[in-house]
Amino acid sequence: MDNYHRQQRVNTFLVPLLAVISGLVVAAVLIIFTDNSPFAAFEELFKAGFGCSSLNRCAFFTTLERATPLMLTGLSAVVAFRSGMFSIGQEGQFALGALTAAWLGFALDLPPVVHAIVIMLAAMVIGGIYGWIPGVLKVKLNINEVITTIVMNEIAVLFLVYMVNFPLRADRGTTAYSPVIDETAKLMIFMPGSKWGMGFVIAVAAVLAVYFYLWRSAPGYEQRMAGQSSLFALFGGIRNDRAAIRGMFISGALAGLAGAIEVIGVHYRINQDFAPGLGFTGLSVAILGQVHPFGVFLVAILFAGVGLGAQLGLQINLGIPRELGGTVIALMILFVAAEKFYTDGISGLRERWAHFRGQKTAVELAMEEKK
Amino acid sequence: MANAVELRNITKYFPSSNVLANNDVTLSIAEGEVHALVGENGAGKTTLMNIFYGLHQPDSGEILVNGQPVEIHHPDDAIKLGIGMVHQHFKLVPSFTIAENIMLGIEPNQYGMLKKKEEAELVRQLANDFGLPVDPYARIRDLPVGMQQRVEILKALQREAKILILDEPTAVLTPQEVKELLAVVRNLAQRGRTIIFITHKLVEVKDVADRLSVMRGGKMIGTRSVAETSIPDMARMMVGRSVLLELDKKPATPGQVVFKADNITVTDASGLPAVRHISFSVREGEILGIAGVSGNGQTELVEAISGMRPVEGGTFTFVDKDITRRSVGERRKQGMAHIPEDRIKIGLNLETNLDENLVVNRYKLPEFNRLGFMILSAMKRFASFAVKQFSIAAAQPGEMIATLSGGTCRRWCWRVSCLASRSLSLPTSQRAVWMWAALSLCIGRWWMCGTGRRRCC
Repeated sequence: MDNYHRQQRVNTFLVPLLAVISGLVVAAVLIIFTDNSPFAAFEELFKAGFGCSSLNRCAFFTTLERATPLMLTGLSAVVAFRSGMFSIGQEGQFALGALTAAWLGFALDLPPVVHAIVIMLAAMVIGGIYGWIPGVLKVKLNINEVITTIVMNEIAVLFLVYMVNFPLRADRGTTAYSPVIDETAKLMIFMPGSKWGMGFVIAVAAVLAVYFYLWRSAPGYEQRMAGQSSLFALFGGIRNDRAAIRGMFISGALAGLAGAIEVIGVHYRINQDFAPGLGFTGLSVAILGQVHPFGVFLVAILFAGVGLGAQLGLQINLGIPRELGGTVIALMILFVAAEKFYTDGISGLRERWAHFRGQKTAVELAMEEKK
Repeated sequence: MANAVELRNITKYFPSSNVLANNDVTLSIAEGEVHALVGENGAGKTTLMNIFYGLHQPDSGEILVNGQPVEIHHPDDAIKLGIGMVHQHFKLVPSFTIAENIMLGIEPNQYGMLKKKEEAELVRQLANDFGLPVDPYARIRDLPVGMQQRVEILKALQREAKILILDEPTAVLTPQEVKELLAVVRNLAQRGRTIIFITHKLVEVKDVADRLSVMRGGKMIGTRSVAETSIPDMARMMVGRSVLLELDKKPATPGQVVFKADNITVTDASGLPAVRHISFSVREGEILGIAGVSGNGQTELVEAISGMRPVEGGTFTFVDKDITRRSVGERRKQGMAHIPEDRIKIGLNLETNLDENLVVNRYKLPEFNRLGFMILSAMKRFASFAVKQFSIAAAQPGEMIATLSGGTCRRWCWRVSCLASRSLSLPTSQRAVWMWAALSLCIGRWWMCGTGRRRCC
């Protein structure tokens, strides 16, 4: 591998890492304004988000539980982006998946395991179809997928609100809830004290499946080529339109699965404000994770941990508003968007370092290679 | 004669694409001369001129204008120094008039109100001064390309350009327009303007330039007097070895019709008809040329033939089969190959590696594909086979395409297209000399061995 390749590889890891560090540095400044020591605050945040004092009181398990939906919505975004579709419809597909699970969770009468599997498959189909629609609209009528997915998010969330308030409403309390799902529909939980369980395993399996689909299978190859260079794909005989629609269906199915797992693995019923924002956070996870399934895996855990740490560690123990966790995450995404700033900065530093050590700079190396 | 421009030891490296575009380039241009800057695509001509015009900053080297060292950080600095540039792609506002375009940013005004009449009068005067008559009130969008180019030149002259850079000005013109442009260039030189004329058409160099400088692979090969250099010599400087400019081929002996286009109509990206009711046929063992200035429907026609663009009407017949509704892949399977006009944008995916680029038209074959899963080892083997077969030294399996040079990319693209084909739909603008020579050799040989034999070169 030549110098150039090594640099590209390094950048793939260094950019998100530097973004995370930059986010933390700016957050430290914000913490100083609250009259707390940033070091103490980060220690609290880390302990509450990633620590593990005993098997029964393990914050990290809760982090993994919370990372599960982020992983799946992140994967959903990865699959869509890699087919060249900038789909931001995860929120709506997630809502419909959750609604499907909440309904089938009490409406069906099936043996354990089978019940859960049927629910998840149904949620994937519903979410998939909800992703397929903007895909078809884009391919057949050239309607921008960003707009259709935003609008369809709105429709799906309002539909969920209606369903929870009227047809699925379980009691006459002030907030509307759907009925609690049957025991047969619930996913297995590994450790008491958190809802970390089968859902996480499914999410990890999905990470591997998406990786194999995109980088090892022929349909995934078609999808990536279409996403990276549509003219090239067309020239090579790939059906771009089919690749895009397939990508959107899979993307929707993954977001729908996320919604279902959140219901049958964590909450067991839905209210009208069910888990807002998990779809959108999935987009951020995908972007910070360099639009790669393995990146999504790590970033989803990071985000979940920071969120939990801010909530428990900062808010409860130090009295720092838990919104700080969201701020940290937002800062990290902001800094990833500044990718060029880092790559230029990194290569500039490299040049200076090489110069300092009396070695050849990249320009000189390139000149030599040509000779 | 004093040197109007001196570029000394200019080096420019693009880290993002790992390209050393200018490698220690030195160039002097005398005042009042027409200086041709020639070289193949990707030789670094445009980069050098962009540096001179302030669009890029060099990594090292210095620039002298009229003997004074200058710093050019921005095109504004260049304009202040009397440098004007006419880009390959015009930078005009289509809905504005000629006068409005020429005076954009320097409109005559009083109390913040534009003085339209004065503006038009100034433009008319400028145009007459230089013998380039234009109608100041005509709108750009209604003008032919040659006229738009004239507006670009006037725009530079209005800003008192003493040194005018023309970046491949003839690429978009009809032969008649080229003639007019060359006359304009000579005329401007006689009026004391210094012209840098970027091109790779050697005949034009012979026609218009006083001296020429040749670039190759980012380096300056040399500067010669045009009068004392023959076209084959120029070509040798450009390519680095002698070039076969004429192909020794026997007269064609075409067989039966293999491809037929009947009453074909194709629309362009904006839905307007680009190809209207075209019919033609190609016989076995025949080379059919389609001529025309770019933008007259050739691109759309080629895309329709290869299956990338649907047709609105008419039929294509290929070896007695109607292929009008067949997909790109199906046409390929029948033995049709296509080397795209823009081999980098269409023929390659720069964001991925060599292996994945190579299999794009054959990833469905069983040797690369087992139950829908790609066989990475077979892809790698194929890449090393292709590297050896085409002796492209710079390439390694697994290498990112973006790290290869432009020329290497183009070579890849069409050689790979050649691998399994029965009829070729060829690039319409075969510009670089060696590409032309190599390609005509390829087609020539392929043509000589006739159809049916699945190899070329």
